[in-house]
Amino acid sequence: MQFKTIFEPFRIKSVEPIPLSTKPEREEYLRQAHFNPFLLKSDQVLIDFLTDSGTSAMSSHQWAAMMQADESYAGARSWTNFENAVRDLTSMPHILPTHQGRAAERILYGHLGGDEKYFFSNTHFDTTRANIEFSGAKAIDLPVQEAKNFSSDYPFKGNIDVEKLSKWINDVGAENVAAVILTVTNNSGGGQPVSMANAIATSKLCKSHNIVFVLDACRIAENSFFVQKNEVEYKNHSYFSIAQEMCTLADACIMSAKKDALVNMGGFLALRNKALADACTQLLIITEGYTTYGGLSGRDMEAVAVGLKEVFDADYLKYRIQSTTYLGNALKKLGVPVLFPIGGHAVYIESDKLYPHIPINEYPGQALVCSLYRAGGIRSVEVGSVMFGKYDERGVLIPAEMELVRLAIPRRVYTQSHIDYVVEVFEQIVSTRKEAKGFRITHEPKFLRHFTAHFEELS
Amino acid sequence: MNKMETKQRSWAEPYKIKMVELVHMTSFAERKKALIDAGYNTFLLRSKQVYIDLLTDSGTSAMSDRQWAGMMLGDESYAGSENFYHLEKAVRTYYGYKYVIPAHQGRGAENILSQILIKPGDIIPGNMYFTTTRLHQELAGGKFVDIVIDEAHDSFNEHPFKGNVDLKKLEKLIHEHGSKKIPYVCIATSVNMAGGQPISLKNLKELRELTKKHKIRIIHDMTRVAENAYFIKQREKGYKSKSVREIILEICSLTDGATMSAKKDALVNIGGFLAVNEKKIYEEASNLVVVYEGLHTYGGLAGRDMEAMAIGITESVDDDHVRARVGQVEYLGKLLRTMKVPIVLPIGGHGIFLEAKKFLPHLKQTQFPAQALAAAIYLDSGVRSMERGIVSAGRNAETGDHYYPALELVRLTVPRRVYTQAHMDVVAESVYEVFKNRKKITGLKMIYEPKYLRFFQAKFKPL
Repeated sequence: MQFKTIFEPFRIKSVEPIPLSTKPEREEYLRQAHFNPFLLKSDQVLIDFLTDSGTSAMSSHQWAAMMQADESYAGARSWTNFENAVRDLTSMPHILPTHQGRAAERILYGHLGGDEKYFFSNTHFDTTRANIEFSGAKAIDLPVQEAKNFSSDYPFKGNIDVEKLSKWINDVGAENVAAVILTVTNNSGGGQPVSMANAIATSKLCKSHNIVFVLDACRIAENSFFVQKNEVEYKNHSYFSIAQEMCTLADACIMSAKKDALVNMGGFLALRNKALADACTQLLIITEGYTTYGGLSGRDMEAVAVGLKEVFDADYLKYRIQSTTYLGNALKKLGVPVLFPIGGHAVYIESDKLYPHIPINEYPGQALVCSLYRAGGIRSVEVGSVMFGKYDERGVLIPAEMELVRLAIPRRVYTQSHIDYVVEVFEQIVSTRKEAKGFRITHEPKFLRHFTAHFEELS
Repeated sequence: MNKMETKQRSWAEPYKIKMVELVHMTSFAERKKALIDAGYNTFLLRSKQVYIDLLTDSGTSAMSDRQWAGMMLGDESYAGSENFYHLEKAVRTYYGYKYVIPAHQGRGAENILSQILIKPGDIIPGNMYFTTTRLHQELAGGKFVDIVIDEAHDSFNEHPFKGNVDLKKLEKLIHEHGSKKIPYVCIATSVNMAGGQPISLKNLKELRELTKKHKIRIIHDMTRVAENAYFIKQREKGYKSKSVREIILEICSLTDGATMSAKKDALVNIGGFLAVNEKKIYEEASNLVVVYEGLHTYGGLAGRDMEAMAIGITESVDDDHVRARVGQVEYLGKLLRTMKVPIVLPIGGHGIFLEAKKFLPHLKQTQFPAQALAAAIYLDSGVRSMERGIVSAGRNAETGDHYYPALELVRLTVPRRVYTQAHMDVVAESVYEVFKNRKKITGLKMIYEPKYLRFFQAKFKPL
């Protein structure tokens, strides 16, 4: 029979107590953190929706594999297990382990990039953009038109606009294009999936221009779920085979294993081309570690090898996507402006619609993030003009395309009653929405300012 | 303080075994094939082809039950993890530096520091080069200059502090280039490439005086600081009754900042940090670490690994721990000395360094004697060691020729708390066996050479 309950295909083996706090305590913590939840201490947080990256609960199988790990510096058997698991997924001959995804990005994009070069993507993520701009290249986002229509329930809002991409390539010249990056699912665009058809079209276009096509696969299992659900031809394909097929389309595959490999640390760069692999290997050794560990302990490589298999389990993926949808639907019912359809790993809220009285240059997203923490100890992240905003030459803010707040749900960590608590907190947020105030940045670093910026609440 | 009777001759471990890892035994034929497949480079062997792995002491320690328990308390929050604050506290308590930024390992910290402090054309004096450290200095536009005392380059000179700086060499550099061109002096405690040789506190104090006068920083490469501190306790006047912990704090207090690969003395499998006293450098580093490593409260490490590091630091400064650690290395060294095998003296803290030029006098340095010796030892018994000679030294970027280091060594590095006395006996027996038959060992030809850090992946063929 069909149950309505979202059945979690696991039981709890180990728990971590959550320290509770009062509203006045949180008010004080928030002030100490300069109104930037990134600067809160984790024991000041009740429900941590800051990120789904590196925050998964590992399985007993992963812990057992960690205990059996081989910490030899060179040629460890844990490396063999890691390499086999990654090769099985990507079918790529050259596998470079890295301590996390951004290291793989820095190595590949640092090598391919440089002044006058262009990168195109469905949407560049914050660290991706930073790595590309750090190399001197330009990062251009080309999401499909539907991505910006929040009421549309188009199933593949993560797609890249292939027509625009083709036009851009012709305009700047294929030789100036460093790479095309397809991020599955499209995190900054609301965790929206990319269709296989779109990946195929992108791959064809890149091949015809001899451009490197990179698949950022950090949430490829969740993306496969949506492909199977919404692309008729893939109805009878397994999630794993869908992911494998998508990888075959790419020349390079980057993964932050901290997402869909269900681990707390790890990543990789997989490549088809030997010359490119050799160049990247040199950079790997300099900044990450030797080729058979890349800055990871043996046990972390073991955990990735096991996690990469577990994540494609059909029952797991069903639970994962359904529980994200559960939160999204509940919030929608309360009248919270939620991005639709609900993505795989997070619920995104349009903060500027919730707080229309706060102008964009006073960061409505930051306001919502702070309200959520004050009201319920919930930590979320602004994905709007704090994260992606820039200044023009007069120092005036060039806003981001969307003013989102992301509630990223760690994998296998929170239960349905935690989620119900979050919904309750939102009831309060909605009823007091008019009281929220804007923010001003008082201190910001040059790169990735959202991590360490300080804010002041405006009166 | 050292609780074991000081008269005790045995180096007995202050711990017992809680968990074991099975090792593989191999046949001669299997090893022969493995060696050919690995291009006579021990780095390219698989660990299951190795019986006793003395490739490195980096990241290969056995953690304690407390560290494992700490791993279970990993707080994997992306920002503000509790484990970070434990790490920060441990660094402040035991090393005394003000600001701490975690990094996934030592070279991550070196990369960030080099990018912040070094401008193109700068000179970085140091007490002997280390492979990754020098590379990061060069990539940032700097030039490494060796200012270690001459004795360090003489394997058989028994100077007790071969890690010392020759202050005259430094003064000359300052005179020639001006102090503005020298952003910092890089001081390693226990100089790896010299054979794990310590620097004395007297020398460090004099260096502090000199650098203070010229407003030059001292950056401390502190990966084996506990072992260095133990040698000071043993050998330097006035420190006999001081604890390792006190000596470490004194060493650190004479420097302005540090990079640490915690994979050595801090007894972990992964991790490192950058520590500084200047707020401005800290702020720049916390900005840059996000690009390369991760947010400044995790720096590319899982929470549990920061916890293991915090506990490991605490354990590593214990007198009894360091005594047993250095005692085990000394045990192996003494065995080899009685067998008349040429080794670097005095015996260092983390390994025994075989003198390949003396061991294989019939080979020229361009025939890679140390590489050939490491291969021969593996073939004999499955003991894996590491070349630290001409292959590791690399090429001069300007002339394209090899660097020809005075020291052509094979390093038998002892992982911390992993192997027993019986394992050490096996190693000594095998080295002796190779020593007896050394005339049969032929030189090697390099058939593949990577651009950077070639020793990791170069391939060879016997001549």
